[in-house]
Amino acid sequence: MTNNSSANSDSNGTNIHNQDLGWYFLELARLGASRATHLEDTEEQLPSELNTINSSGGFLLVSTDKLSVKYTSVNLHGHDVGVVQANNPAPVKRLVYYFEIFVKDAGAKGQIAIGFTTDTFKMRRQPGWEANSCGYHGDDGMLYRGQGKGETFGPTFTANDIVGAGINYASQEFFFTKNGAVVGAVYKDMKGPLFPTIAVHSQNEEVQVNFGQKSFAFDVKEFEKQERMKQQTTIEKISLPPNVSYGIVRSYLLYYGYEDTLNTFDVASKTTVPPVYMAQENGFNEQDIVYALNRRKTLRKLIKSGEIDSAFGKLHDWYPQIVQDDKSATCFLLHCQKFIELVRVGALEEAVKYGRIKLAKFFGLAGFDDLVQDCVALLAYEQPQESSVGYLLEESQREVVADTVNAMILSTNPNLKDSHACLQSCLERLLRQLTACCLERRSLNGDQGEAFHLNKELDIGKN
Amino acid sequence: MSLFWIVIRRLAEIEAMATSKKVITKEEWEKKLNDVKIRKEDMNKLVMNFLVTEGYVDAAEKFRMESGTEPDIDLATITDRMAVKKAVQCGNVEDAIEKVNDLNPEILDTNPQLFFHLQQQRLIELIRHGKVEEALEFAQEELAPRGEENQSFLEELERTVSLLAFEDVSNCPVGELLDISQRLKTASEVNAAILTSQSHEKDPKLPSLLKMLIWAQNQLDEKAAYPHINDLSTATLEDPAI
Repeated sequence: MTNNSSANSDSNGTNIHNQDLGWYFLELARLGASRATHLEDTEEQLPSELNTINSSGGFLLVSTDKLSVKYTSVNLHGHDVGVVQANNPAPVKRLVYYFEIFVKDAGAKGQIAIGFTTDTFKMRRQPGWEANSCGYHGDDGMLYRGQGKGETFGPTFTANDIVGAGINYASQEFFFTKNGAVVGAVYKDMKGPLFPTIAVHSQNEEVQVNFGQKSFAFDVKEFEKQERMKQQTTIEKISLPPNVSYGIVRSYLLYYGYEDTLNTFDVASKTTVPPVYMAQENGFNEQDIVYALNRRKTLRKLIKSGEIDSAFGKLHDWYPQIVQDDKSATCFLLHCQKFIELVRVGALEEAVKYGRIKLAKFFGLAGFDDLVQDCVALLAYEQPQESSVGYLLEESQREVVADTVNAMILSTNPNLKDSHACLQSCLERLLRQLTACCLERRSLNGDQGEAFHLNKELDIGKN
Repeated sequence: MSLFWIVIRRLAEIEAMATSKKVITKEEWEKKLNDVKIRKEDMNKLVMNFLVTEGYVDAAEKFRMESGTEPDIDLATITDRMAVKKAVQCGNVEDAIEKVNDLNPEILDTNPQLFFHLQQQRLIELIRHGKVEEALEFAQEELAPRGEENQSFLEELERTVSLLAFEDVSNCPVGELLDISQRLKTASEVNAAILTSQSHEKDPKLPSLLKMLIWAQNQLDEKAAYPHINDLSTATLEDPAI
């Protein structure tokens, strides 16, 4: 679409369509459709009950609700432990995993254990007795971690005690609790899926497990909060160059053409005490980004108020190269928006007519097809706002179109070195880098820990 | 002997392989960056949060109109907060105290340290203007009783009063109290207390996220070589250092 050859000669291996920068924004427009489900984290299967298939049959009895277990035989040696794992391993894409047991009956000897084991665990042994397992034992209060001998760890536990086991993915530790208080933590030296595991080993021992169906005796939320705060304290100690936030906000306003805000912001920052001092040589490329500021602002205003025809008119006058190819992504988004605006005001007949003339040609065209179908689907509903394509009527859809036009104008700047530099603000590039770093680190860490989500971060501190 | 060295060399190679970091090329990394989804409205919120917390009330109002982003606080309260901050910055501490109490009397009632620091600032301003008698009277009547309640207040009071002992305060050991930075320190303390009383975070989120970016890059450095952003103000992607 654009005849700006410098914008097309791109060697920059991103998968943005090389011919038309506007394609980048088609993706953004699509994002609107998946807004509710756009969190990248897929839900992990959580432990919810005991695994009766894999348990050490013969020595123990699992209740029908699969949430309690009883030792029904008489123990004779070290290889007749009644051990049972949860149906799913502990989830890893989080800060903390935790579960609890309630000791209903300590039985003959109180040889009850709680801990974590892997899927190859020998289901006749106490957790902690074998390699790749870890368990806190009730009869001696010791912690066992794969060696024959236990380590002094905490108090013993018996009937009527609530004991918990957890994994702290931030510190890479197992931790255990008794009656709501932390007993201690040890380094987690096991890898792979880790199953919550409980064991009973003497006559009549009976234990109920709580995978979170009921509230815990231990305040996990508070524990997580403290963990987050520890990390936050480390992060807050990092120092930033002076006024860097100020500069990033300013360049954001410049980039998107929020001219009124920018001017007010500049006036205000001249009168602050101490005055905000910005080094000029810090490479903000002011002139490049000031480029066409007023025209960009004007077009944003028109699109944001639904005046698509006027926006088209201005583009024809000012930047004919952007709208000369009627099949470009930019023209497509503008046509869609015009159609949407007609639906919004209830001019359905006109919308149908406009659709036939301007949108029909995009049917069946890869990349455009789904959006065109969504637009036309608006006609099918009496209350299109509440339909599955209602997102098109939201303010954010206008914003995508306004941002597309803004970026296309920036791309006509002859001083532009990298054609993709005009697609994202500095702030957006930083946030992408932050998210990518966090995700990559987690994936190199066996997917353990929380991901970074900007919208979650924005919600922190509210209420 | 030569076999020995071959074995040693081999061991070193194995070790290097085990500890070698994953290398992510710029192309691969850009693909990952591209897969990240950042919503415009979230960025707008982040910018609005900055304007509001830093007290750019007019800009926040304009930004609301231009971007359609709703501020997370009543904009009118920003004006009041900024008036208090400005009063302290200009040395009108009495005025500032009055304004804080107009805004919400609980702020100073529940925050003895802040109240002490404001009174201390008032004493500093009296000394700055050479009002020795007034300063002494103020120190004895208003500040000394508070010093009895709290040892650190007493030490601060003594430090401040010692300003009176010097003819040329610009060269004395406690001269920094007269510096503009002391006013700014007090002003930002009041500012934070007002924000907290409005159940708003006292610092904008953007600087924290920038720090988090530096931290996240450092953390990932331990595991991989990948393109960094070293200059936050340009967000330029550097080639990975291998």
